[in-house]
Amino acid sequence: MPDKKEDIRIGVFLCHCGSNIAGYLNMEELEEFSKKLPHVTFVQRNLYSCSEGGINEIKKGIKEQNLNRVVVASCTPRTHEPLFRSSCGEAGLNPYLFEMVNIRDQCSWVHMQEKEDGTTKAKDLIRMGVAKAALLEPQEPIMSEVQIRALVIGGGIAGMTATLAFANRGYEVVLVEKEEALGGMLNHLSKLGPTMTDASALAEEKVRAVTGHSKITVFTKAKVTLVQGFIGKYKVDIETESGNKNIDIGVIVVATGGRAFVPEGLYGYDGKRVITQLELEVLLKNGLASAIKNVVMIQCVGSRNEERPYCSRICCQTAVKNAMLIREQNPDAKVSILYRDMQMYGVENEEMFRDSKVKRVRYINYDPANPPEVEPDNVRVYHALLGRDMDLAADLVVLSTPIVAQDDANVVSQLLRVPIDENGFFMEGHVKLKPLDFATSGIFLCGSARFPANIREAVAQGLGAASRASIPLAKGSVVVEPIISVLANEDACRGCGLCVALCPYGALEIQNTEKGRKVHVIDVACKGCGVCAATCYQHALSINSFTDKQIEAQVEAFLN
Amino acid sequence: MCTGRVDPVIVAEAFKKGLDGLLVVGCHFGECNYVSGNFQAKAKLDMTRRLIKHVGVNEERLSFQQCSSGEGALFAEIVGKFSKTIRELGPIGGDGDRVKAPEIFKKLEAAEAVLAGEKIRWVIGKRTPFIESGNMYGEVFTEHEFNRAIDMIIVEEIEVQEILGKLKEGAQSVKDLAKALSIPSERVFRNITALKRKGMIKLEKVSGRTPIFQLVPQEV
Repeated sequence: MPDKKEDIRIGVFLCHCGSNIAGYLNMEELEEFSKKLPHVTFVQRNLYSCSEGGINEIKKGIKEQNLNRVVVASCTPRTHEPLFRSSCGEAGLNPYLFEMVNIRDQCSWVHMQEKEDGTTKAKDLIRMGVAKAALLEPQEPIMSEVQIRALVIGGGIAGMTATLAFANRGYEVVLVEKEEALGGMLNHLSKLGPTMTDASALAEEKVRAVTGHSKITVFTKAKVTLVQGFIGKYKVDIETESGNKNIDIGVIVVATGGRAFVPEGLYGYDGKRVITQLELEVLLKNGLASAIKNVVMIQCVGSRNEERPYCSRICCQTAVKNAMLIREQNPDAKVSILYRDMQMYGVENEEMFRDSKVKRVRYINYDPANPPEVEPDNVRVYHALLGRDMDLAADLVVLSTPIVAQDDANVVSQLLRVPIDENGFFMEGHVKLKPLDFATSGIFLCGSARFPANIREAVAQGLGAASRASIPLAKGSVVVEPIISVLANEDACRGCGLCVALCPYGALEIQNTEKGRKVHVIDVACKGCGVCAATCYQHALSINSFTDKQIEAQVEAFLN
Repeated sequence: MCTGRVDPVIVAEAFKKGLDGLLVVGCHFGECNYVSGNFQAKAKLDMTRRLIKHVGVNEERLSFQQCSSGEGALFAEIVGKFSKTIRELGPIGGDGDRVKAPEIFKKLEAAEAVLAGEKIRWVIGKRTPFIESGNMYGEVFTEHEFNRAIDMIIVEEIEVQEILGKLKEGAQSVKDLAKALSIPSERVFRNITALKRKGMIKLEKVSGRTPIFQLVPQEV
């Protein structure tokens, strides 16, 4: 490690990201610019810095050019920082002597129409990154042990599947369900498409497996009231009928599901003649009244509108499946489905759709600007091909409403400090790279809590989330990022405790030392938020890789 | 890393070095990945806004906004609005600000020293307990009362820093300081007394009947 500034040798790697960056920014100019920055001794452009070739170039640069700081200007640290850091590590450079500059997500993608301004901004960003890189210091990761026990919140199909997956690997699991019975939405369904499996048989089988498993503790009519700690070392308070429990947990899976939207005030919904698909499921389960001869279904009720812009995507297949079940129970019944677009993804769903047409389920497209009208005996809909209104007789009108977020999704969100989107669904860490993980390590998600899922998808996600969450359980320990608070100037600390009161993780404590009262950072508990360093009036605390000096250097680089 | 890391000192320093606008965008309350970091950030930045306004910077130059990573359109709107505001204000110390360049940078230097100082950092750090559970005497403050206290501290602390700044140029009398800094002489006198007690200044000489004060070099 060089200790003098003159010894600092920074390598700057500029990624084209195919044409994602190079198509919108002037890369030659950025290269020339980077070469002139202080301490920069090597600059290289790569088509894809994250490709095997690109990574090898970085490693080669470290070895051959004797680089002791690496700056990659590319996509986003959110997805690629770990890769570049570990590559530096493999080449023998401390991974924390790496700095990433975001010139794609926050630059080329935003300024696709402004090549010159975009390039100027990229220069600013690179100059700031290089200024910080010069001041980076090596860090060593922190190890922490993991409590080998999982918590699953929600006992629907996704949650039960995840629970069984943990238990069958030999891990202890605590399953918390707020209702009296396990099963969730599954308890209300008749048969499951496209295979027409009996929903209650599946529910019974899963519930039996869960309740009979020695590794599983089930709390029904229970809720999680407090979650403290971090990956591997959570302390969870659960309110149950038999009193409050406090349990040590290693990982958490959120499987709280969704609920069907109740279309109050839409299409004359009354729960009797005009019902939802979920209510139809119950009728079908108990056997449909033979008097029902004419059924009209309306799709996209309360979804794909301004209030709920999303497509709930499982309602189309549910409608088609239920139309077939109606025809099966009352072979004379006429079923019409009024739709905007049919969402029948996959081989089996499409086949079921085709099959339903053979079985004479009728499909009529409607325009949301001119929606169907439910009248006492019929449904009136404008038929675009015929160019006129049609009256369809209707003993039963079934509204296909979307799955919406649970009412208490925000409570769970605050409890676990994980984000929900504008529709109240939980947000995964990354749509493609971390679809079942939250950004916060140690917490995972599956099923309709994330987005409307059918049973098959909920099962797949339950298995997936349990697999992801099993990684720290199998390893028995986690490595915590060393980007945390440190008492950089012990002499300055007066042990006042102001920072201790403000730390949201209880990661600071006052200890009596030879030098008097001093603050102590509990490194595995610290998340590196930086509140303490921004508060300390003695400027005694600092954050690794985000020191005052480093931030000031960036600000200065930006202003010059 | 969190908006809670934003140290007001760095904010003042950036403006002092010529920054025209600073937008800090944090999570929505209750959704902070760092639990309460955004509350702390807002408290600190609200206070910093009051302070820069006091020294003559248009407070619109500093903005704290909230937006989740799922709200791209909102983020673009926030950035667009802020960018427009700053463009309209123009460079710092110009028509957009009460105090003009280069005077404004001197003022910001005092502001930076205040923000690095013990008093205001202590009070802002205690904001949550003061408002929620009260001080050590059990007195709970309303947000309004707290902000009034902050404003008083700002006025006093800036005066102190300006007096110290002026004394760096050479020993002076209370009267001359009051005139140069446009601060009422009784307030200069009060601050001088306090600074003298802390050992930060001392009496250099008495010229006629007027005492002249000078800085006492401080250990860093």
